[in-house]
Amino acid sequence: MTTAAPAPKVRATVRPTGENRTMTWIWNVIGLGFAAVMAFPIYWMIITTFKTNKDLISKDPTFWPSSFSFQSFQTIFDDKDFLPSLQNTLLITLGSVVLGLVVGFLGAVAVARFSFRGRSFFIVTMLVVQMVPLLAIIVPLFVVMNGAGMTGTLFGVMLAYLVFTVPYVIWTLRSFIVNIPSELDEAAMVDGCTQWGAFFRVILPLTLPGLITTGVYCWIQAWNEFIVANTLLSTGGQRTAMGWLTFYATTPTRGADYGAQMAGALMVSLPVILMFVLFQKKVSAGLTAGAVKG
Amino acid sequence: MSVTTDETVLRSEISGPVPVEKPQRRGFLAAGHYIPYALLLPAALSLVAVLAYPLYSLFDLSFRNVNRYAYLVNPSLAKYVGFDGFAKVFGDGQFWEVVLRSVYFTVELVVLSMVLGMLFALLLNRVSGWVKVTAITVMMFVWAIPALVTGTIFRWLFASNGGVVDYVAYLVSGNESVKHYDWFANPTIGLYVVAAAVIIWGALPFLVLGLNAALTQVPKELMEAARLDGASPFQAFRHVVIPVIRPFLMISAALSFIWDFQVFAQVFSLRNTSPEPGYWTIGTYLYEKGIVASKYSDSSVISIAMIVLMLAVLVFYIRQMLKIGAQDR
Repeated sequence: MTTAAPAPKVRATVRPTGENRTMTWIWNVIGLGFAAVMAFPIYWMIITTFKTNKDLISKDPTFWPSSFSFQSFQTIFDDKDFLPSLQNTLLITLGSVVLGLVVGFLGAVAVARFSFRGRSFFIVTMLVVQMVPLLAIIVPLFVVMNGAGMTGTLFGVMLAYLVFTVPYVIWTLRSFIVNIPSELDEAAMVDGCTQWGAFFRVILPLTLPGLITTGVYCWIQAWNEFIVANTLLSTGGQRTAMGWLTFYATTPTRGADYGAQMAGALMVSLPVILMFVLFQKKVSAGLTAGAVKG
Repeated sequence: MSVTTDETVLRSEISGPVPVEKPQRRGFLAAGHYIPYALLLPAALSLVAVLAYPLYSLFDLSFRNVNRYAYLVNPSLAKYVGFDGFAKVFGDGQFWEVVLRSVYFTVELVVLSMVLGMLFALLLNRVSGWVKVTAITVMMFVWAIPALVTGTIFRWLFASNGGVVDYVAYLVSGNESVKHYDWFANPTIGLYVVAAAVIIWGALPFLVLGLNAALTQVPKELMEAARLDGASPFQAFRHVVIPVIRPFLMISAALSFIWDFQVFAQVFSLRNTSPEPGYWTIGTYLYEKGIVASKYSDSSVISIAMIVLMLAVLVFYIRQMLKIGAQDR
């Protein structure tokens, strides 16, 4: 594991290659074992979705389906609540990402480019409010939204999600915008751009990586969110995909049908997994910065 | 000029931990004092509406006796009762039981996930490149699984009928009786073993990848020097590696505490939307009281208690973040 040491003095302390290689192999085996344990639940979810009923109800679980079947997916798509709930989630997610980015971006420009009274107070507030547990304000949020007649509507949920998107977007985009020198848009304006031209041709393109990072983060948060959506929508009889999945297994017949449950679990997670695959680097950077579990 | 005076006022006003970027009133939208406020207006309005006002009404509710009935059907029943609500919640033995359980559970989760995260982060530095890539890929996928889905998957893994964990235990031990072992019958096992496994599984990717990245910050020369000076691997780790990665260690431990203390989704879906009282930690308790039983005022008191219990760690975390922010610039 140690690379060839430059000085002979150091080389003396390096273990012989033979032992070294054996050790690397031992570590490799342990590492692969760790990866296998971590991967197993996902493997099991995926493999369960393809199992036939015969495999699913057999006495002993099989580690590989005896034959592949899409019956579980069929069950899920036949469920009349599945697609509407997926549509609700999609609308809420898209709406709250756009809303959060627009509102947050304006705020981020303000704190990054202007000095005004109470600016640093505002920045610290953006960090502090990110730490307010969503669960703690769920009841008053419901009461407030209900008072405004927003419960049971998708728009109400989108608005409620501003509570975690806006502080995060402002906090994260701020550092992206601060790093754009104002000489750049000055130069653009000297070259004949209007103020808005400078904004759209200089600031916006340069902030794009930041917008993608924060947008992906908001997407994942909004897609995964369950408590707020479930509580606010409970009066209107609508559900998001997460709520649908959670309550799918509450009837006895479905509770035992793990094939369908796993198919549902996979379908519901797929858009988030896709985000992780497409924006791998940005996701880990964004989640670490936002300090929120995926 | 007004700009200069503004600048000096601002400089003297802010001497706290947050650095001030040089005030720039140049370039894009150079004129107009109102502009920053106009830009902030949507953010401020929305945060007041969905955060500040609910927070205010959280305290308001905690001093009243509101439940769903008194709220929807007969609002005149809801009145201010002062600290009676607090007395009622704090006088309930179950509340303290839940708080104690949350503390035990959180300590278990934070210690286990930090130790395991550290061990696997160190391991990733020892293995060959392809093993490391494999492990990181797996962890990215684990990270991508939503918390609720994690609970659903583990409910199936640990099912007493057809659950693979029981089956593997049977294959290993050859003991027929473990094949239908019910992991959830005893909440102590269900919570401290199964729920803990769910949460640690979900938390490891962040910790392992983060700690591994932090470990690459440790200068090779320092390690070599320590070894030359005769330090054992453990001593080198204790006195060279730990001090270097200390900031990340502190932050990730604080974060783990914050997440784990308010954990809800994983336990909720693991127990199929109705966790038994033996599984209740403070997050679940809050949900059961506030949403399931619709006791709005009681749950507000519990919310406040939850925030207060986390306050020390929250303040610590925020200060660390501000310190790091100060170093960046």
